[in-house]
Amino acid sequence: MEIPYIVNARKDTGLINSKIAIWLFLASEVMLFGGFFSAYVYLRLGADYPWPERTLPVLPGLINTFILIGSSVTVVFAWVALKLGNWRQFQIYMSITVACAAIFMVLKGLEYRVKFNHQAGRFNDHTVVEGHTAYEKDANGEYVLDRHGKKIEQNMIRVVAEKVTFSVKRFHAPWINEMLSEAKHNKSEIKLAADIKAITTEGGKEETLAKAGEPLSLELLEKIKQVQLDAQEHNSALRTDALRDEWKEAKSANPGKKGWQLASDVNIDMEVLKPRLLTEISNVEFAVSPPTRFLFKPRDIKEGATSSRLRDDTVITGAMEASPMVLHNLDAIDFQWLVMKAKEKGIAPEAAIANSWLMKNNEFVREAWAWHLARNEKKQAVLNERFGFQEDGKTPKQTLTHKELYRLGWKDLGDMGVETKGVKIGGVDKIKEEFMGPNYLARGEKTFPHLSIPREEIRHAAKFTPAWNTYYAIYFTITGLHGLHVIGGALVLLYYLVFGRKMFLSNPEWFSNRVEVGGLFWHFVDLVWIFAFPIFYLM
Amino acid sequence: MANSIEEIQKAKKTYLLVFLALLVGTVLTVLVATVPALDIGGHGFDGPDAILGLLIATTKSTLVAAIFMHLNHEKKLIYWVFFGAIFFFFAMGALFALAESSPIWDFNFYK
Repeated sequence: MEIPYIVNARKDTGLINSKIAIWLFLASEVMLFGGFFSAYVYLRLGADYPWPERTLPVLPGLINTFILIGSSVTVVFAWVALKLGNWRQFQIYMSITVACAAIFMVLKGLEYRVKFNHQAGRFNDHTVVEGHTAYEKDANGEYVLDRHGKKIEQNMIRVVAEKVTFSVKRFHAPWINEMLSEAKHNKSEIKLAADIKAITTEGGKEETLAKAGEPLSLELLEKIKQVQLDAQEHNSALRTDALRDEWKEAKSANPGKKGWQLASDVNIDMEVLKPRLLTEISNVEFAVSPPTRFLFKPRDIKEGATSSRLRDDTVITGAMEASPMVLHNLDAIDFQWLVMKAKEKGIAPEAAIANSWLMKNNEFVREAWAWHLARNEKKQAVLNERFGFQEDGKTPKQTLTHKELYRLGWKDLGDMGVETKGVKIGGVDKIKEEFMGPNYLARGEKTFPHLSIPREEIRHAAKFTPAWNTYYAIYFTITGLHGLHVIGGALVLLYYLVFGRKMFLSNPEWFSNRVEVGGLFWHFVDLVWIFAFPIFYLM
Repeated sequence: MANSIEEIQKAKKTYLLVFLALLVGTVLTVLVATVPALDIGGHGFDGPDAILGLLIATTKSTLVAAIFMHLNHEKKLIYWVFFGAIFFFFAMGALFALAESSPIWDFNFYK
């Protein structure tokens, strides 16, 4: 079938059809990205925590901007080359465009990788620390490996389980397999704590579904789950029927009344229904004998001293062992949120900081904070000199920002290491830091020390992922979506480059129109980044 | 849109000039955000900085849209489609802004 109006324009619109199509698509893209950028604005304006201002590495973002701008030029040059009938030039410009897309994605991937490996933790008092989590080592300094041969991150919650109660409907099979495997490894058994009895047919007798002592298995849980689902469906249907009958009765007895007038009198008599109901089993309890230790990722568990709950509603009864979050390298100390909360309560920031767990329990932090305060005095003096004072002659016209006052980032700690401990690093290592963040190996523990935080002091901990805060949620949403557009656009342009020759020879006008349409999409990708770069990296 | 060979050759020069303008705009955005001497408004990031940053970004994107995407000499239908979408984006934004300022969010309003 011949596609109409792909070479010559329609008379009524003056355009080829594919061009109208791409512009309609771009219009929908404007709405899509516009919606996300609006979400960013509202998340930022409504944030109940100090928004992470200018927190991303500028250099890779800047390079990526140059790359996308450059690729926008090369794609338009590729189209020009086609218009001039020069296939060789088209190949060169289009290859550069696709290469630019690849470099862009590599840099973005590096940026994401750094974020996914960077740990943050918020204390109960709202102090925030950042760094790199450590792995367990034995007395000889060797890494301890788990039974899968993997290093154990010192950020796991350890619970010595005596009992495990599974939610019949929500249990997560991989976790059960993991528990079974761990228990087997520790020569422990997980067995049903009591008989599971249920009425499974209407009017039937109670029967034993599983006996106490039966070992935990997915098959057993699936069987009980099915009984629960059947019972729920049956009981729900019974209740609905009974309620319908009640309504019919109420309406026929009170013909003039409206539904809302009758509603309070329409009730089901559950005592009548009771003999017909099936047994619903919502939880099943298993005993762990002898009690054994399970390790959970913090994101999977809401831990407690004697009882913890997993995300699938499984309750683990047993004592939580010491499960500190250990930062092998602490690279940021942030009191911004603590100060914000203190101000809300009318507490002086200095007093709140002095009373924080971190200041009370860590010598390095006290030393770093003293250095930070002294440096801030100098910074304020510079501002005073530049902007002067108010009419009273005492109040400075400009003061340091909230972030400058209450946050020690990795660059600040690096400066402190240079000033007070003589830790200097080479130019290559410094450039590496601009892309990969703090260079722990080069600067060492004098600059980025160890920090062990008791679990009970932590309110929230996460890697720098959407789980950390709404800033990272919207950052990954917009840049991730943009990255997908880069990949999609580059694939289309690569297709033109690899498979376009035949069409170029047979119908060059059609081919150049195709490239123009692909190019329009590519320019739009560039256009989105032109806004994303300043918004995420510079504001 | 450039169609004759002469026009196309001329357009290439324009594309290069736009490329340079975009590079300059990008560097300018970074400088005003990172060099204290170029910081407008008060010290640190504030409203004027945001306005300036977005102004430069808007100028850059206008150049891309007008020259690279040929919006400076397009057919009427394309303008309706694209600017229609932008209009609806701002209209939606305005509706959200109105909703945000609605007294329904003020818990003391009905007391």
